[in-house]
Amino acid sequence: MEVDSQEQLQRKQSTYLSLDENFEIQKEVYRGQQYSQIYFARLHMMRTLLYSLVPNWKSHLPVCTVLELEEGKECIIVGTLYKHMKLKPCILDEYSKERSVAPLIKPHNFMHQDDYLVLEDESGRVKLGGTKLSPSVYVTGVVVALHGKETSAGAFFVEDVLEAGLPPQIERPLKSREDKYVVFVSGLSIGSSSSNPLQFQLLVDHITGHLGDEEEQGFAAEIVHLVIVGNSVEISHGLLNGQNLASKDQSRLSEPFKELDILLTQIAASLPLDIMPGSSDPANFALPQQPLNRCLFPGSATYNTFRSCTNPHCFELDSIRFLGTSGQNIDDLTKYSEAKDKLDFLERTLRWRHLAPTAPNTLGCYPFTDRDPFLIDSCPDVYFVGNQEKYETRLLKGLEGQLVRLICIPRFCETGVAVVLNMRNLECHALTFGTQISS
Amino acid sequence: MATTSKNMNVFYRQKKNSSASTGKKSTKSPSPKHAATFGSDITQPPALVSHDDFDEQEQVLRQFDMNMAYGPCVGITRLDRWERAQRMGLNPPKEIESLLRGGKVKLESLFDGRV
Repeated sequence: MEVDSQEQLQRKQSTYLSLDENFEIQKEVYRGQQYSQIYFARLHMMRTLLYSLVPNWKSHLPVCTVLELEEGKECIIVGTLYKHMKLKPCILDEYSKERSVAPLIKPHNFMHQDDYLVLEDESGRVKLGGTKLSPSVYVTGVVVALHGKETSAGAFFVEDVLEAGLPPQIERPLKSREDKYVVFVSGLSIGSSSSNPLQFQLLVDHITGHLGDEEEQGFAAEIVHLVIVGNSVEISHGLLNGQNLASKDQSRLSEPFKELDILLTQIAASLPLDIMPGSSDPANFALPQQPLNRCLFPGSATYNTFRSCTNPHCFELDSIRFLGTSGQNIDDLTKYSEAKDKLDFLERTLRWRHLAPTAPNTLGCYPFTDRDPFLIDSCPDVYFVGNQEKYETRLLKGLEGQLVRLICIPRFCETGVAVVLNMRNLECHALTFGTQISS
Repeated sequence: MATTSKNMNVFYRQKKNSSASTGKKSTKSPSPKHAATFGSDITQPPALVSHDDFDEQEQVLRQFDMNMAYGPCVGITRLDRWERAQRMGLNPPKEIESLLRGGKVKLESLFDGRV
């Protein structure tokens, strides 16, 4: 085996542009505002957009507000949906005098056949009827335009729905690109009992070119970026019960970070990497989660290839736009609505042009006053979500020629699967690492 | 407590409301002030009574607060709300801005401290 080969393999590079400014909250000041402000910002932005789309949809009908509805008059109204859910957990249940036989264990999904939708704008709200708008598909916080008329019962009978649809996509120059790969991995859960350090070490070795022959190394040299999509560490809950920690327990608290830092240093020395916070990481609870503190990564943060990013995370590599979250938004949709698979949820959030419509209703969110940072203005080329059960992907085609690669990234500690995306053609494949030593 | 009245005066400085007392003497109202008659505020808690009903500027600003087109007014200062409306392209009246930046008007919305 040749140790010194004639030509040294160079890793390919790509230009990186971070678009996370919208998700940073350092400049925000809390002045005692409530969530009505973010709902107003969302309604205003989406309503302006929907008003521009309504003439192409049904130009002959008048547009009015909820308060201006007249019985029997066919019209179009625009507002925010609210889904009344019977099984949705309510803080008041704890104080309820009647101790009904309600199950103590919460179900995974809070849907019920009696759920109904309500449309709301600044002037008022109206209950929605008809079968066109299915309560199992929609969630609170989505802004839509509805065509219908008010019934004698005071409800609004929906005849048709207009969603905002996929946002416009910036044209990418179709120059002949070379193969460049981006690797996504999520749910490393270092520190949990189910994580296998050998699996992640194998991944690191593969990406940095320490595994395999020249052909394998050649493939690894085409990997230009690594994105770690949340839940990199898991602290055992026994340590987080609010009691003061004994000194021997304090080292147990920091062990997962030390282990993660060692591995990230190996990666950062080799290629650019982005790390996003997830629900189990030491970042703020409410979305948008702020970048993990650099002091957690004393070894890897010294490299300029190491980037701690927000959740949601938006960036451009060679002018290809990537947008994704660590999974909290899709997990919340799973609890309050239903779909065939997780990719359907991803597609819905794009059609609604909102990353997390259930925020702040059932998903923690910062109370912004002048904007809603989760609105999607420009269609990404790659839209990903981390910490899902299995690897799934689909290429979504929009009506105006938009092309989006939807990716569900599985939890690495459970599946050993990372996802590799080719930036030339947006093709995706799985990279599986097994450590079973079979006889 | 064996304190003499002399010591109490040192402890608790007494201030005489000379201006209020002269004011009370000069105004003469036909009905006694503390009766629950028309025009009296006795039944309303002090916070809700509008003492500056005749301040035109405050009335204009309250109309601005209540205008739903510019969004909710709770938890945001009037100037921030005006600027937000301006940024969103809602064209809030320029007079409100000059009023807020200029004179001695309340910068908080009318619900401030009450909600």
